[in-house]
Amino acid sequence: MSGPADHDLPRDFPGGWEAAAAEYVLGLLPAPERKAFEKRLLDDLDLEQDVAAWQEYFASFAERIAPQEAPPQVLHRLEAQLFGAARKPVWRQLVPYLLGAITAAAIAWGVSFSGLLDTGNAPDLWADLEIRAPELVLLAHYAPDSQTFMVRRDAGTLPQDRSLELWLIPKGSNTPVSIGLLQDVTLTEIPLSDELAEQVPGATVAISDEPLGGSPEAGPTGPVLTLATMLPRGD
Amino acid sequence: MNTPLSEIEELISRIAMGDRAAFRALYGRTSAKLFGVCLRVLNDRGQAEEALQEAYAKIWTRAGQYRVNGYSPMTWLITLARNTAVDKRRASGRARRYAPIDAAEQIADPGPGPAQQAEASDESRALHGCLSELPPERAEMVRRAYLDGFSYVELAEATGTKLNTVRTWLRRSLMQLRECLGR
Repeated sequence: MSGPADHDLPRDFPGGWEAAAAEYVLGLLPAPERKAFEKRLLDDLDLEQDVAAWQEYFASFAERIAPQEAPPQVLHRLEAQLFGAARKPVWRQLVPYLLGAITAAAIAWGVSFSGLLDTGNAPDLWADLEIRAPELVLLAHYAPDSQTFMVRRDAGTLPQDRSLELWLIPKGSNTPVSIGLLQDVTLTEIPLSDELAEQVPGATVAISDEPLGGSPEAGPTGPVLTLATMLPRGD
Repeated sequence: MNTPLSEIEELISRIAMGDRAAFRALYGRTSAKLFGVCLRVLNDRGQAEEALQEAYAKIWTRAGQYRVNGYSPMTWLITLARNTAVDKRRASGRARRYAPIDAAEQIADPGPGPAQQAEASDESRALHGCLSELPPERAEMVRRAYLDGFSYVELAEATGTKLNTVRTWLRRSLMQLRECLGR
């Protein structure tokens, strides 16, 4: 067993790995150095302690930052995102219809997976998503363990003046449910509410082109750029 | 923050088990602090609100990992909020106005007022004490890097120096800080 080679270290700068630990906490390491650092962090206890110590010291900077009340809509949006609680008023009109769709999806799920309802056995689900314009190669991945929906961007850049919105269309339904916007990071992570999580198996994931900030309505307003079904994959 | 730490830890462990009431309680106790942190980094209310929402969504999904990393609860929360805000700031790629870091004009940190001093943690006292041993413009670079999420490119622009020079300075300052904090 040998750790990462020394050439991963920025030789031209003073301080070695110890200085890199502080740079890591500050978010200053260039990507290749950060990867090498994280690799080393896995089995270097001293380095791990350095990182923890810098986190504690630097976080104490926040003691001098005055608290500011966040507007109440942040909590409302957050709870809607996480628990699917508060909906847009338009949404309410769709509830009776949607309930039918959920029941249908739940029955289909029960039939095809009866006896396997323990989430401990629920498989990870995947879907390849490719878009021509803007040219994007994406991989959707749902991890039932953490109830997180992830979209990895493997190629392409996001438009600056538009938002790409992710929708889930539960099996047997034709009502897309917004699960969030594609973020300008390599891995967009979206925690799903219990209700949404149950509907992922066999669901279709779609991406639509929307104004910045996402669709102003309950459903997509722009063209649907790509669609794929969430399915398990062999290892 | 006057909330006892053990109470925040308990809330986090209940959140790890999916307790929504605990999540709401934690939000009530800590969101003003974390919003202050997001605002400091992003300097834009709309973006700071989005960062705050993202940070708490991460808190909800990652609460189970809190114990593993061994940080104190406020450090864990502040680090999550700060890093989320910094990622957002960098992703937005928006040019932002900032005051240059000028060695001649840089005044030493005036230090905390009496009230802040009374409430300051050991870490905060040690950090500010050790920062004051650095040349003022170097201490300011460390502050900008953490509190404003400055990258090396921005630090180089703010100091009017080359990227490699600024990195050499900062790494030396960080090693000095580490040596002082370890005393």
